[in-house]
Amino acid sequence: MRRRLPIGVVALAALGAAFVLLPVAGLLDRAPWDQSAELLSSDIAVEGLRVSLLVSLGAAAMSILVGVPLGLLLGRTSFPGIALVRAVALLPLVLPPVVAGIGLLTAFGRRGLLGGPARAIGLELPFTTAGAAVAAAFVSFPFVVLAVEAGLRSLDTRLEDAASSLGGSRGYVLRRVTLPMLAPQLVAGTVLAWARALGEFGATITFAGNFRGETQTMPLAVFEALQSDPGAATLLSLVLVVASLAILIALRGRFIGAPT
Amino acid sequence: MRAGALLASWLIVGTACGATRSGDTTDAVTVFAAASLTEAFTRIADEYGELHGVEVRLSFGPSDGLATQIQEGAPADVFASASPKWMDAVAEDPGVTDRADFARNILVVIVPAGDPAGIVTVGDLGEPGIKLVLAAEGVPVGDYAREMLANAGIAEEALANVVSNEDDVKGIVQKVAPGEADAGIVYRTDVTASVVEDVETIDVPDDINVVAVYQIAALDGAAQHARGFVEYVLGPGQETLRGSSFLPP
Repeated sequence: MRRRLPIGVVALAALGAAFVLLPVAGLLDRAPWDQSAELLSSDIAVEGLRVSLLVSLGAAAMSILVGVPLGLLLGRTSFPGIALVRAVALLPLVLPPVVAGIGLLTAFGRRGLLGGPARAIGLELPFTTAGAAVAAAFVSFPFVVLAVEAGLRSLDTRLEDAASSLGGSRGYVLRRVTLPMLAPQLVAGTVLAWARALGEFGATITFAGNFRGETQTMPLAVFEALQSDPGAATLLSLVLVVASLAILIALRGRFIGAPT
Repeated sequence: MRAGALLASWLIVGTACGATRSGDTTDAVTVFAAASLTEAFTRIADEYGELHGVEVRLSFGPSDGLATQIQEGAPADVFASASPKWMDAVAEDPGVTDRADFARNILVVIVPAGDPAGIVTVGDLGEPGIKLVLAAEGVPVGDYAREMLANAGIAEEALANVVSNEDDVKGIVQKVAPGEADAGIVYRTDVTASVVEDVETIDVPDDINVVAVYQIAALDGAAQHARGFVEYVLGPGQETLRGSSFLPP
């Protein structure tokens, strides 16, 4: 059933929508469309997109790998200090990305806590695409943790109980019952993590540097272009706007709050 | 309810309109300065502010980025550029007055303390496997560094060693001081007190070094203190710049 809203709420809602639409309109207005073919096929755009795809997909994969177990742990178990673990797991969501970058350097940099062991096995993260993916994963994996934990809360546990009473091992129940039931939340969390990774800037430039074809993702390319060629920057920005919109439309609001 | 909502939206609009040029405040001056000037201009701003009872607002960044921000309408009163190129851009749009050279600077190579990669001369920057960090093209110190490497005849080898093109000169120091990169090319003034323990400096021979010319100007329509600040930098501020190892103009 639809209800009418007070006019003031509608007015403020319009203001909110305009708040988002105006910058996009500004980008559309300023973009040098006559040079678009040339700019979009330029090295900075093509390499930026390629690195962005690699980095964000790598980050999404890492997010699943560590985010799902952590979400299961937080949602299914209880132990002293769980509140602290939960807070730490979500820390990257609220931490300024540049702080995340410095933290990653002190942990995985050459002179960082794990820098020595990492080098010993030939793994160097700073200035590499893998490093950029680690930076992006660090800031985005809490989305997966949150999604899994929230999914577990609303899960009907009777199916799992039935599966174990019929002799299913813990691993079997998790694989064949729990995770399939969590699939919608898993997809939502992973897509949000991927989208966050796609937009990562601060942690990446601090931890992995800025090198075209290696660590220069689209946001870094936009920032570099902005310094000397603002027109190119607006056009590259629009590529990101379109990509982000495509993600949100593909989700159709299903997993991020709107009713189905 | 309706009145409340309207009041709220007016407040928002009102606040937005209130955020106009800082230059409108008579007792403040906003200075956009090249990142390499961070320490020197912070001191000069303190001196000038105390002397004249003026609030000096500082914004540091790469000269090219600052020029772009000014052209986009950022509320700067004074622009101090590490290269005449970007002062030219701002002089064309939106226009400047009192433009003058106020300092010069030269390049040095920095390596992490202990010099893990064993870099002794500029020529070593071309050795395979060195992790070299420069500023991006367009950033003055990035352009100067590429010119210097060309003068040294090792442009191709050295540029193949670049692992990161930083946004400004401070980004280079941030990568070299903790030892993440083996070497970086910065201004000699960037080896400041706060990093002198963490890096070693390798001088660049005069015959291949590049001299950076710093220019300052008040922007058209700037606050009244803009001219005063420019004059201060050209006058008493010179001593502070010398103290930070800048060369006279």
